[in-house]
Amino acid sequence: MDRTKILVVDDNPTIRKGLSVRLRANGYEVLFAEDAISATAALVTERPDLVVLDLGLPAGDGFVVMERLHKNDRLANIPVIVLTGRELAGNRERALQAGAAAFFQKPVEDGTLLFAIRRALDVSRGELRFDE
Amino acid sequence: MTEPARRSSELTAYLSHELRNALACIHQFGNILVDGLAGEMSGEQREYVHIMLENASKIRKVLDSTLDGTPDPIEESNEQNRRVSKLET
Repeated sequence: MDRTKILVVDDNPTIRKGLSVRLRANGYEVLFAEDAISATAALVTERPDLVVLDLGLPAGDGFVVMERLHKNDRLANIPVIVLTGRELAGNRERALQAGAAAFFQKPVEDGTLLFAIRRALDVSRGELRFDE
Repeated sequence: MTEPARRSSELTAYLSHELRNALACIHQFGNILVDGLAGEMSGEQREYVHIMLENASKIRKVLDSTLDGTPDPIEESNEQNRRVSKLET
């Protein structure tokens, strides 16, 4: 059986490295993108099962990535978890309205992030309703 | 938005992004060490990393309260203690 693929989109290489160690230790395959353009390309070519998305990115922010994702019927069901250093005001509500499954400010507890990932995957696979 | 308000908003956004990213790196790799994902540590090494993580957590609470207006639990607790002290005197 193929391992669950998670695309980590963050322009900070240290954050990408830290997330990859944690996610791989929990059995996930991890892919990376460092800006909005490479994130969009990775979504199309790799079709990950879930995206962990920063908002402050070069070449268009995380909202641009979510907009592109949701405009593409093949990709629209991929859950997005926003993990950002941006302030709460305006960003959390906007991200959730744009379709994010969860919104976290950095730093997030590993257990909290891993739980949100499992939950979002269950919802996208139809094993759990969004409001459960 | 007035010019001072715009500058203040930009400063808040800049501080939030830079400080939270730096803090996230300390938090991520500290927990990676504590959880043994980079090999086993001695008890003393583990204790020191815990001290780092506890202090990173304090900085995070300060950020939450100053940049995002989330109540600082330490300050709230101090305030409660002050109220109790006043009642007792």
